[in-house]
Amino acid sequence: MTAAETPFEPKIVAFCCRHCAYAAADLAGTSRLAYPPSLNIVELPCTGRVDVLELLRTFEDGVDGLLVAGCLPGRCHYLAGNLHARQRVDYAQRWLEDIGLEGERLRMINLSAAMGAQFAELATEMAETIKSLGPSPLGTRRAAGEIPTTGCAACGDPAPLLAESAHDRGDGR
Amino acid sequence: MTGDGQSGDAKAVGAVLVLGGGIAGMQASLDLANGGYKVYLVEKKSAIGGHMAKLDKTFPTNDCAMCTISPRLVEVGRHPNIELLPDSEVLGLEGKAGDFTATVRTRPRYIDLDRCNGCGKCAEVCPERLPNPFDEGLGERRAAYKLYPQATPDAFAIEKRGVAPCRDACPAGQRAQGYISLLREGRIDEAYRAIKEDNPFPGICGRICDHRCETACSRGKVDEPVNIHGLKRFIADAFYAKPRAKPEPAPRRYDERIAIIGAGPCGLTVAQDLCLEGYPVTVFEALPVAGGMLRFGVPDFRLPAAIVDREVQDIVDLGVDLRLGTPVESLDDLLDEGYAAVLMAVGAHEGIRLPIPGGDLDGILINTRFLRDVRLAELGAEGARDPRPDIEGKRVLVVGGGDVAVDVARTAVRLGAGDVQMAVRGSGGKMPAKESEIARAREEGIRMHVGLNFLRVVDDGHGRAAGLECQRVERFETDETGRAVPLTVPDSEHVMAADVIVFSVGQRVGLAFIPDDAGVGVTRARTIAVDPDTFMTDRPGIFAAGDSISGTAFVIEAVAGGHRVAGAIHRHLRGEAMKTARPAGPPVAELSQKEIDARLLKGEIGYAPQTPMPEIAVADRAGNFTEIELGYSEQQAMAEAERCLSCGICSECLTCVEACGVDAIDHEMEESTRRIHVGAAILAPGFQPYRAELSEEFGLGRYPNVVTSLQFERLLSASGPTNGHVKRPSDDRTPKKIAFLQCVGSRDQTHDYCSAVCCMYGTKQAIMAIEHEPETQAQVFMMDVRAFSKGYEAYYRRARDKYGIEYTRCRISSLKEDPATGDLMLRYVDRTPPSSGGEGVPARSEVRDEAFDMVVLSVGMEVSEGVRDLGRKLGLELDDHGFCRTLQFDPVHTSRPGVYAVGPFREPKDIAESLIEAGAAAASAEGMLVGGRGTLTRAPAYAAERDVAGEDPKIAIFVCHCGTNIGGVVDVPGVACYARSLPGVVHAEESLYACSKDSIGHITERVKELEANRVVIAACTPLTHEPLFQDSIRAAGLNPYLFEMANIRNQCSWVHGRDPAVTEKAKALVRMSAARARQLAPLETDKVPVGHSALVVGGGAAGMTAALELAAQNFPVHLVEKSDALGGNLRQLHFGIDDSGTSTSLPLGADGRHLGPQDFLRQLLGEIEANPLVTVHLGTEVSGTAGFVGNFTSTLRPTDPEAPPFEVSHGVSILATGGVEYRGDEYGYGASSHIVTQQEFEARLAGQGDAGAEEAALPRSVVMIQCVGPAEKYCARVCCTSALKNALMLKRLSPETRVTILYRDIRVYGFKERLYTAARESGVLFVRYDETCKPEVRVAEDGVVAVKAWEEGLGRDIVLRPDLLVLSTPVVPSAATQELGRRLRLPTDADGFFLEAHIKLRPVDFLSEGVFMAGMAHYPKLLDEAIVHAKAAAARAAALLSQDAITTGGRVAAVDHTRCVACLTCLRTCPYGAARIAADLAGTGGIAGAATIESALCRGCGLCAAACPAGAIELKHYTGAQVMAKVDALFEDARVEEVPA
Repeated sequence: MTAAETPFEPKIVAFCCRHCAYAAADLAGTSRLAYPPSLNIVELPCTGRVDVLELLRTFEDGVDGLLVAGCLPGRCHYLAGNLHARQRVDYAQRWLEDIGLEGERLRMINLSAAMGAQFAELATEMAETIKSLGPSPLGTRRAAGEIPTTGCAACGDPAPLLAESAHDRGDGR
Repeated sequence: MTGDGQSGDAKAVGAVLVLGGGIAGMQASLDLANGGYKVYLVEKKSAIGGHMAKLDKTFPTNDCAMCTISPRLVEVGRHPNIELLPDSEVLGLEGKAGDFTATVRTRPRYIDLDRCNGCGKCAEVCPERLPNPFDEGLGERRAAYKLYPQATPDAFAIEKRGVAPCRDACPAGQRAQGYISLLREGRIDEAYRAIKEDNPFPGICGRICDHRCETACSRGKVDEPVNIHGLKRFIADAFYAKPRAKPEPAPRRYDERIAIIGAGPCGLTVAQDLCLEGYPVTVFEALPVAGGMLRFGVPDFRLPAAIVDREVQDIVDLGVDLRLGTPVESLDDLLDEGYAAVLMAVGAHEGIRLPIPGGDLDGILINTRFLRDVRLAELGAEGARDPRPDIEGKRVLVVGGGDVAVDVARTAVRLGAGDVQMAVRGSGGKMPAKESEIARAREEGIRMHVGLNFLRVVDDGHGRAAGLECQRVERFETDETGRAVPLTVPDSEHVMAADVIVFSVGQRVGLAFIPDDAGVGVTRARTIAVDPDTFMTDRPGIFAAGDSISGTAFVIEAVAGGHRVAGAIHRHLRGEAMKTARPAGPPVAELSQKEIDARLLKGEIGYAPQTPMPEIAVADRAGNFTEIELGYSEQQAMAEAERCLSCGICSECLTCVEACGVDAIDHEMEESTRRIHVGAAILAPGFQPYRAELSEEFGLGRYPNVVTSLQFERLLSASGPTNGHVKRPSDDRTPKKIAFLQCVGSRDQTHDYCSAVCCMYGTKQAIMAIEHEPETQAQVFMMDVRAFSKGYEAYYRRARDKYGIEYTRCRISSLKEDPATGDLMLRYVDRTPPSSGGEGVPARSEVRDEAFDMVVLSVGMEVSEGVRDLGRKLGLELDDHGFCRTLQFDPVHTSRPGVYAVGPFREPKDIAESLIEAGAAAASAEGMLVGGRGTLTRAPAYAAERDVAGEDPKIAIFVCHCGTNIGGVVDVPGVACYARSLPGVVHAEESLYACSKDSIGHITERVKELEANRVVIAACTPLTHEPLFQDSIRAAGLNPYLFEMANIRNQCSWVHGRDPAVTEKAKALVRMSAARARQLAPLETDKVPVGHSALVVGGGAAGMTAALELAAQNFPVHLVEKSDALGGNLRQLHFGIDDSGTSTSLPLGADGRHLGPQDFLRQLLGEIEANPLVTVHLGTEVSGTAGFVGNFTSTLRPTDPEAPPFEVSHGVSILATGGVEYRGDEYGYGASSHIVTQQEFEARLAGQGDAGAEEAALPRSVVMIQCVGPAEKYCARVCCTSALKNALMLKRLSPETRVTILYRDIRVYGFKERLYTAARESGVLFVRYDETCKPEVRVAEDGVVAVKAWEEGLGRDIVLRPDLLVLSTPVVPSAATQELGRRLRLPTDADGFFLEAHIKLRPVDFLSEGVFMAGMAHYPKLLDEAIVHAKAAAARAAALLSQDAITTGGRVAAVDHTRCVACLTCLRTCPYGAARIAADLAGTGGIAGAATIESALCRGCGLCAAACPAGAIELKHYTGAQVMAKVDALFEDARVEEVPA
């Protein structure tokens, strides 16, 4: 089968905070609430742990969609980690749009540990959104070898493309 | 401290019993276990969590209850020193404080806790559905269940009421409820299997059983019993309609050969059982086909031969050697042939001839012989030794009226007899045959004559029978031998003419093959004599069973006897004890009429009569033997199965046993009782919500859309029955208009107390309903809004002002349902005061009728009957409502030394306050048992850690099947194969259950053998299982951080089950985990020694109590007080609530009288002075604290400027800096000597007024105003109680004095409600004012006071001119509290009180570890509450102080100082103040001063790492490389070649 014939199966990553969103995903499992397998969870102690460069690098790796899933606002186990994350997601979203990617590919969601059903719904919704958007051009370019794998010329950070662009604009992190 | 008098007993047992696994019990357990005591946590249910686990959100923060409780559940479940005893109850407690023996009974759970891994297969296959009690009956669950998904222990349980009556009635113990339930789910094969568990003849018994089960069926109490045999037949027929799979021959295990004589139902049952047991079995049958009476005694129209043949064949195919046409001539021959045991199951085939004259004439036939000949003739030439009886066209007379007689008569009809009659003696007054069969016989034209005495058979003159001469019988009398003797009607002799007479008056055993010298005895009833327990005859090794020992009986008895004798033969051959005591077994689960009526009322059962059994028409029966009953259609069978009431709950269908992959299910489990040695007991049994169906006026149970608050909570919960969508039970519609009715089961005729939580949870539920559905209108009907604690008033105001929730101050007058819509009509009085002082918008008062979509009853708290019983058994003093009475000034101590009561068991209260009490009880127990501390606890020991530095990654991967949870969906072998191909992986294997005890040991061994240095477990979720697996690799000498889990169950097999990509997803998850594992590094932890002393700041009641509690536990304390004397606010407190006579606390005074607060103060001061471990620093302030938990240093500065500051070091701090009474100028305070505060008023009442002591003559009229100044914004909790207490005291001293209290809401929660009642009874007037319409105070020049207020009842303003105006001013944070907060950088709330780490679950902790708060610095408190709060703080502090060292490091952030530019971002970001700039570190470019993170303070959230602009900070275990390795791996080529094992 050639690439053109293969139906598009998006690759989605979800950064989930251990205390709430990850537990919600577990509950979706316990309750056997199905969602598409395109979503892959990466567990973090808090969504506040993830920085803008990591969000952008995930896109550079070729991800088609990225969820950052934290506790409900005001319910962060580390007081305000989810609010920090929200700011970074908003910021990274602007970056994506600047380079021509759809902002919907990156989304922050907030869940409590009891919201298994909502996790499954949001995962399904995200998969549908990404399917309608199609594959991320960054993934396609990476697959075609167009994205260099060497580090950023400016700082040596191993996230070359977006980071370089950020350095060019002078506002880095 | 007070009461127990056991302090420091060196012989005390270092273990505590905690009863109740709710949040309070959990907290007490954790505090005790962390403080060095072994804990036995006894919980009645199958899991801990209590009511809190059911809640959706908690007020006043709307935190998700599950988010907050679930980490605690895991902590309790895994704590090495907490032994969980679920399903258990305390039966008794003997001994004395410090040395108790508790008797604990554990009910069978039917699932082994040690084996169950919570996979849930049992619940998946369980066919029994019941209303889910966890969802308050709104959802459904199975009989095999886990209380809720996050339950601890993470194990299932089976709910069994007992043996269903149907099963109990059946001689063979057929699990009828089981197969009916399976049928109901359309699971024919399993239903068939369930029948076969007890009975090898489903099709046979489905037709001809006498079904005693139906007589016993509880459904008969509703309408008619379930047609159980009809359902059994349906299942058998449906199963047989499928292509037959020949049974696998049973494997041989034994050599002893067994001979069975007779292939009837009994012989065949034994043959089956013994063959399955593993014996070679030979069955000898004289007739040419097997089946015995089933085949030769029952005609085809009742039981088709094909069914018998099929069921016989299924037994034969197991490997039974069936020898047909082989009569046994001699038992000796069989024994000579080497059979180790012989069973005689020859049945009762010999018919009986009536002993009357002419009884042996020609033309007389015998029943059994007649039926057998008909059958043999059908078999055709080969087997037909006997011709078919020729009766065509003849007159047939059947003598006898049993089932066989009816069969004979009906057979005769089918053979073409000209006329068939039955002559029946009928000594029982009627025919003994089954009614339904008699009716059918009549339909077929058979005439019956009952009540005859048979005289002789009439000879036709040629030696042939021509008729039967009979007499009519008037009645029967019983002679001395018990036989029925007929009294005949004189001259009633007559002859019944007949060509053929068939005798059918009984059958007996054919014993011809047993010669007299065979050594086998025979009874007088001509049956074979056996030992009734062992079924052995007089001759060893020779057994008998079935009709041959009992005489004629039903098939099911033959089956039952067969099972028993098979067991006996097996025991005989194995040399086991022959007489075994049968276990008592569970009780019969008969539903009482009361239970049935209750279920009818709730609508769980509806009337539905038995589904009629279809049958062929009478016209179609003649001349053929076609089966008459047609059997149910599928639809009919389902309808009939639905009628089963599932009496036993679990039906023991054993489907779960088959499904369980770890052999955890044991239906034979029995109740057990153990005795536990403990030093103290803490009782936290919790509350029972008021059963609002008892208040019939609210319609709960009758009107579906009236729900209780707990039901509503489940409807709101995302994990509830509606997934968090609020729906009306009647029609699933989203309610748009909801009424909340407060005080249901509180503050009423039968409950003279306030349940303290309902106002707030009602408000919360109204808010959440609106959050879910913003269009919702919510109206709360209440008396007072009791928003009395921290943040509650603001919460209530937000509900009212922001969410638009309407609060209506009244009880409704009526509630009715509109049957057409299910809406609820409420009638109530709507009263609105004027908007300002009677001049603006006028007041309103009208009766309104209003419809609501849904009504929520805010039910109050009660103590359950079971808990009252327990209290009585334990010898505790309880009040009239069953609440536990506790000691004055020691509020968690019961009347029995060493036994503590916490939570709603002693007074209704919310989560936070229950937790505080739990801590207080833990502290008290610890103080009493200090000699036993650490004597019964254990610390886990681990292997020495292997240094893996410098090694390349060597990853071992274990992929778990989780039974079929993963393995049934994901190609686990494929995933393991694939895992082997990943870089760095040295080993990958499958595991059936990775978390089973065996597997855990195996993982340790494999890791050692392979010298693996990273481990990945692909299984379930790390949230529950990571610590377990980490322990397994620690046992192998690996650092626990060299571990990673891939969650291929919860996040793969369970959610993508039907997706073809599921295995690829599992591979991707494993690939990602392996990639991260390659990046993992061992993390070091440090042990920092703990300084075992405490600093307590504040010398009031709370500070002194905390200091004494810690000293009782042998910890030295520095008690710092700013003023020159200890005592604080307690010095101003003269009367306790106890003095009002409304308290339930037990008096401490020697004469049985309540002591005053000043007595308590003196007692505290005395104890402080006497305690050498408490160092008091009066006139001293804390000017600063440095360090971290376990290692603080504080600078203490005397207020005397002459004295130099000094330092003390301490492991923990408790801040008890208190609050003060507000003194502002509101309502003219300060402008007149006639205006005082409550504290001043109390002093006057106590006769201790300062300046104006001589004019302290009691006033003749007093007005009190509540909610003064800051209390308009927050409720200071104590003012209502203080006002009522003082008002009552005044009334006692001066009954004539008029007292008027102007209030907004009277907030006397819990038992303090009684003060309110007492005050009204003593004539105190209450006038409510609204915040829009406050009282006005005018002070005349002479100081005389006038108060104007709106009076609702009169509908106008009133003016009062009291002698004294008392202002209930609130408690506000003391200056010391605010100052200390600033100095120590501790957070305070909007009102200036200290802010706890979590308002519900950590009510005495600051966010900074090792720092705690106590007393009014946290929030205004009554004296009891301050004492309890201080004790709770002491418990938390003691848990730290009792450690030798605390562990730091591990998952913490670390700074690469060479990249640090000292921008301070980390300092600003860190929520815990863990980041600081260290002057001795050099940052980027060697500039002095760089950030560092104190690992003892770091909680590992990583916020700083993400925020650091220089990228100088990494969070260990979640470094950039480790996190991104996972993301990168997702995009690595998945098509790596798979490597076989």
